[in-house]
Amino acid sequence: MGELAADKHVKYIISVEKKKDSFESVVMEHLRLNGAYWGLTTLDILGKLDAVDEEDVISWILKCQDESGGFAGNIGHDPHVLYTLSAVQVLALFDKVDILDADKVSNYIVGLQNEDGSFSGDIWGEVDTRFSYIAICCLSILQRLDKINVDKAVEYIVSCKNLDGGFGCTPGGESHSGQIFCCVGALAIAGALHHVDKDLLGWWLCERQVKSGGLNGRPEKLPDVGLLLLVGSFKLDHD
Amino acid sequence: MSTRENSYTEAEALNLLAQLERILDLDPLIDEVGFIHPSQFATLKEEIGDSLSLEDRVHESTSFWIRDHKLGISTQILIPVYKAAKHAFISALRQYKTPGNFSGKSQDDTLAIEVMIHSKALLLLSCDFATAWNSRKLIVSNKRLLPILMDELHLSALVLSYSPKSEQAWSHRRWVINMIARNCSTLQWIIERESELVEKIAERSKMNYRAWNHRCWLVSFMTREQVLDELKKSRNWSGLHVADNSCFHYRRRLMLRNLEGFCYTQDNNSSGYFVETYQIWKEELDWNESLIKQYVGREALWLHRRFLSMYLIKHMATHLLAVSCQSKPKASVDIDIDSLMDHELCLVHSCSTTIADANFEDFQAQAIHSAAYMLWLTKQIPEYQGIDIQEKLRAGVGDVTRMLKRSCPDRSSLWDYLVGYHSEP
Repeated sequence: MGELAADKHVKYIISVEKKKDSFESVVMEHLRLNGAYWGLTTLDILGKLDAVDEEDVISWILKCQDESGGFAGNIGHDPHVLYTLSAVQVLALFDKVDILDADKVSNYIVGLQNEDGSFSGDIWGEVDTRFSYIAICCLSILQRLDKINVDKAVEYIVSCKNLDGGFGCTPGGESHSGQIFCCVGALAIAGALHHVDKDLLGWWLCERQVKSGGLNGRPEKLPDVGLLLLVGSFKLDHD
Repeated sequence: MSTRENSYTEAEALNLLAQLERILDLDPLIDEVGFIHPSQFATLKEEIGDSLSLEDRVHESTSFWIRDHKLGISTQILIPVYKAAKHAFISALRQYKTPGNFSGKSQDDTLAIEVMIHSKALLLLSCDFATAWNSRKLIVSNKRLLPILMDELHLSALVLSYSPKSEQAWSHRRWVINMIARNCSTLQWIIERESELVEKIAERSKMNYRAWNHRCWLVSFMTREQVLDELKKSRNWSGLHVADNSCFHYRRRLMLRNLEGFCYTQDNNSSGYFVETYQIWKEELDWNESLIKQYVGREALWLHRRFLSMYLIKHMATHLLAVSCQSKPKASVDIDIDSLMDHELCLVHSCSTTIADANFEDFQAQAIHSAAYMLWLTKQIPEYQGIDIQEKLRAGVGDVTRMLKRSCPDRSSLWDYLVGYHSEP
């Protein structure tokens, strides 16, 4: 079995960070903070987080914070929970979560919980169980989970459970590995895993494995390495 | 090519932006946008010539192409135009949002128009630039007029024409429809059109999760008549896309919605409603069976069957019992479920044993899917169905498991596990 070419991965990540001029990278400007999370987490796992300048990264992230307390994907853009979580996670990688005004950030998230327990991604109201996971995960890192109505949040996630044991993005939405990762993750953090029908969902997840050995995200789709991570991590959780 | 991209001056970039915005203004009916390599422009130009004014030909012959409401943009100019559009948009938005920066309504309108023009150009180049979509929501929510809302639907449809998975475009549509729902009576017609749009996009972009999710979202706005109509209308399409799990999930959503509606109906029509609902379910089962036999080894079809059988047993049977216990003896309910299970066992048996030609993966897949279906179903049968059925199923499952292990031995531990846990008390 070969070895992981760690140095090459590090070089690749750094090069992507610097390459800002291709069309592909400019059209992703608005979600740079997500990209930062994925890149930096990888460096951290490879034990190479020091390959980046910590101060540079942190000062850039703080510039992405909006007066509402939420973070945008890049400087000057609108805030959204997606980037707020990435910001908090990146700061956690550097062990610098305490530089944030945790109340300010959590107030932004708390303000996005709806009456039915669901979470909107931003002030424009789009609801998705991914945002439930983001809210719960983020508040958990900030140790402010008690600020939201956790029971209602759980209730909403459970309402998105399908007949096959999986979860969709809204009630009645098709089961999707990514959404399942978010829903199960949220329920786990909220101490509500008993709502998951482990056997039924486990069955669904097992059926994601195709002949090649890879895992797909939904029935009849092709296997995907990203989904290998999501589905695989869930199964580890449960065994 | 990259050196050419970087060699546009700011003035040239602004000029290109102005051209793009003028094209968009001159033709509000543009319904498709594509990014074209410069080498393809020559071919296109040869075919039809240029429909724009003479003085613009110099730039536009290599930068933009427009014909029959289809717009092509050269990949060579994407970066400079994007930068110019972004800069113009951010500047306009900042001015619009700054209070006291204007005096009177007309200047407010002018600034709003600027934001709308620049955000439109920007979104065609970078369709998930959420801040641009948000600025449009901000301006439109101050107006809330139907034509303006329809324009937003048109712009997002334009974006979806080349980026059918754009989360922001779908989300924007939902925001607009929610606005319309609050204010207008044309909602039902709009819902119908939305459903058709999704089907059109789904044709080109298979199993597009965001598109189908949008269609499922529409169901909560539908009347019962619309729900039944959608079931009828989408049937042919589904029959031609039997590997598309999303379209069958959509059908399940419609059927569940119909069932929900029935559960809440307490009036005299309820038995008529029930009969119709039961009929729909039976028809769907029969149709599903014909597809299963025709298209061998399709997972989506078997997953659909799991849902259909389970609901028929769990929910229909419960109602049959409740409604007819006075006029018919309980035994007749059991007989219905009994014959249903016999039928399913037969179907599974025939699918599991037709592994005649082991060279075709489809037959093996059919065996696996049918067996998994039976295992799954037995897990769902509620205890009250009676011992007979459970034993029949267990016998059936035993046979099926043996066959599975023979035909697919590398998943033998999975079969053992699934059988093992389903027989737990």
